[in-house]
Amino acid sequence: MRALTGVGSTPLSGVGTARWYRPTALELPARPDPASVDREAERERFERAQRDAREAIRAARDRTAESVGEDEAAVFEAHEQFLDDPQLVDAIEESIDDGSPAEHAVSDAYADAIAQFEGMEGRMAERADDLRDVRDRLLRALLDVAAVDLGSLPQGTVLLADRLTPSDTAALDPDAVAGIATVTGGRTSHAAIIARSLAIPAVVGVGDGLDDVTEGATVLVDGEAGEVVVDPNEERRAAASDVDEPVVAARVSTADGRGIEVAANVGRPAELDPAAERGADGIGLYRTEFLFLDRDAPPDEDEQFEAITAALQAFPDERVVVRTLDVGGDKQVPYLDLPAEPNPFLGRRGVRLSLSDHADLFETQLRALLRAAATDAGDGLAVMVPMVARVEEVEDVLSRIEAVAATLDTEGVDYEIPALGAMVETPAASYVAGALADRLDFLSIGTNDLTQYVMAADRENDGVADLHDPLHPAVLRAVDRTVTAAHACDAWVGMCGEMAGDPDLTELLVGLGLDELSMSAVTVPAVKQRVRETDSETAAALADEILACETRAAVVARLDGVE
Amino acid sequence: MERTVDVVPEAGLHARPASKFVQTVNQYDATVTVGRADDGEDGMVDASSMLAVTGLNVEHGESVRIVAEGEDASDALDALETVLTTPVDEGGEAS
Repeated sequence: MRALTGVGSTPLSGVGTARWYRPTALELPARPDPASVDREAERERFERAQRDAREAIRAARDRTAESVGEDEAAVFEAHEQFLDDPQLVDAIEESIDDGSPAEHAVSDAYADAIAQFEGMEGRMAERADDLRDVRDRLLRALLDVAAVDLGSLPQGTVLLADRLTPSDTAALDPDAVAGIATVTGGRTSHAAIIARSLAIPAVVGVGDGLDDVTEGATVLVDGEAGEVVVDPNEERRAAASDVDEPVVAARVSTADGRGIEVAANVGRPAELDPAAERGADGIGLYRTEFLFLDRDAPPDEDEQFEAITAALQAFPDERVVVRTLDVGGDKQVPYLDLPAEPNPFLGRRGVRLSLSDHADLFETQLRALLRAAATDAGDGLAVMVPMVARVEEVEDVLSRIEAVAATLDTEGVDYEIPALGAMVETPAASYVAGALADRLDFLSIGTNDLTQYVMAADRENDGVADLHDPLHPAVLRAVDRTVTAAHACDAWVGMCGEMAGDPDLTELLVGLGLDELSMSAVTVPAVKQRVRETDSETAAALADEILACETRAAVVARLDGVE
Repeated sequence: MERTVDVVPEAGLHARPASKFVQTVNQYDATVTVGRADDGEDGMVDASSMLAVTGLNVEHGESVRIVAEGEDASDALDALETVLTTPVDEGGEAS
């Protein structure tokens, strides 16, 4: 047994057979005498390879669109365009006419293009990766190299690679892949995020030590400990299978009987059933952006109504918290024609747009929501608005809901007014949490954005990654302030950021008084287990001590002390 | 016929906007070339080539010249202008 350490990226474990994915190991045969090359045959070989590659690219596109999302799938459209690129195709055909076999012609033409892009920076360098991807598809078809088909790996594969691109990861079949381990890469790379959304155990950034793991070895990927274990012993295997917590379908309480809702964050209809299967107590954050992205016009009221009722029916006895449209910032929608802003995270996003430029869209969404609240499972519907900073915004939303209700009433359409809440993502909302809660049924703390705004640290900027951490005392105090103020107004408080899904923080969050925790479905079982083990008095004492800490280091030390 | 357009998408003529641009060119019965407005005739490249279009490395806010010839030239120019003046989602994580 030998253990290698990396960064745990999906907090699940899996054991399987090591298979190396080495996409660059393609060797061309020696270049023959041009006189001996059959031009006609080589052209045909190239055309056949092009057809095979196209089929594979389209299949990858469709699979990615379905399992991950349209955004992630778009890269394959560019790949198909490179495949058909007239410059590349011309260069390849000329080269064949000059007496090169198809594989050399492809390799030469792409080498020139790749070199051209590689000299550039940023996005252009990424294009070089795309070109390599397409070239390798062609070469594999020509050389008849049995590629590791990432979409149909044998059951129980632990995939080892130097690095995985997002497209590689998106191609994986989560049922067949027991785990992923990579030499390079970080927890926040797109590949890591996709692996998490597919619930594939993953450890990234293992380093060169991973190269010594031989093909066919039995390997355990422990995404919680951040370890890759070669030839794990029985004890280690058993411990790993314990890590994959059993699903607890029932609601859970702390050891001393305080009920905590453990809900799921859901961004697409396809995630509803998996969330229910993992034992989520409803949905704590249903993002509605999927209804608006990748299309040319906004969804109409009926389409939104159908989507909301589908979510309610997936959790007929539970609460479903639907967030109203949250665009702007880093999330753009073409047909909304939002002006580019120099500082979009501090600009018009979320409720700011819903109450101004896109009041019409907001009204349509509210109509759909109020109608859905009157359906069979509609009792569980709750609505929350994103990016609130002012009491006036909440009052404005409330009066618009009243107006929509009045219109529906006149039209004789069935409706109910659902529970209403606000997301606490801005320091402003945390400072006025009491006033917000006074007018609402609940608050839900979005820790990703709250951390970004409290710490003034861009979520996407690696240079300030150490600042973007919710364990800084300032962020924890903002959470505490919010919970205390809301409880004083009899509103319940949830948390729907990444932080809520970290089982190592469950005790602290219970201690801070949160009533609901909402997370990626994959961590629901582990968090439910932690809730059951928590004693709320001890947790409250822990929270008090942690709130008194002056530094993140002190917070972490205190948290480690209790483990 | 031709047209000069300022590139609106944040990503410039890269990634999805570039992809959409080339896709659009290929939908019309027209021969289209594109280049930076300032670069003159020598800077014009084949707009049906993803390689050539992304190779221009045109950023958000730059001005490009599109020249189209053929039966659908006018429709093609309209459609391409729409592509270049529509802000495009670059797929940030929604949360």
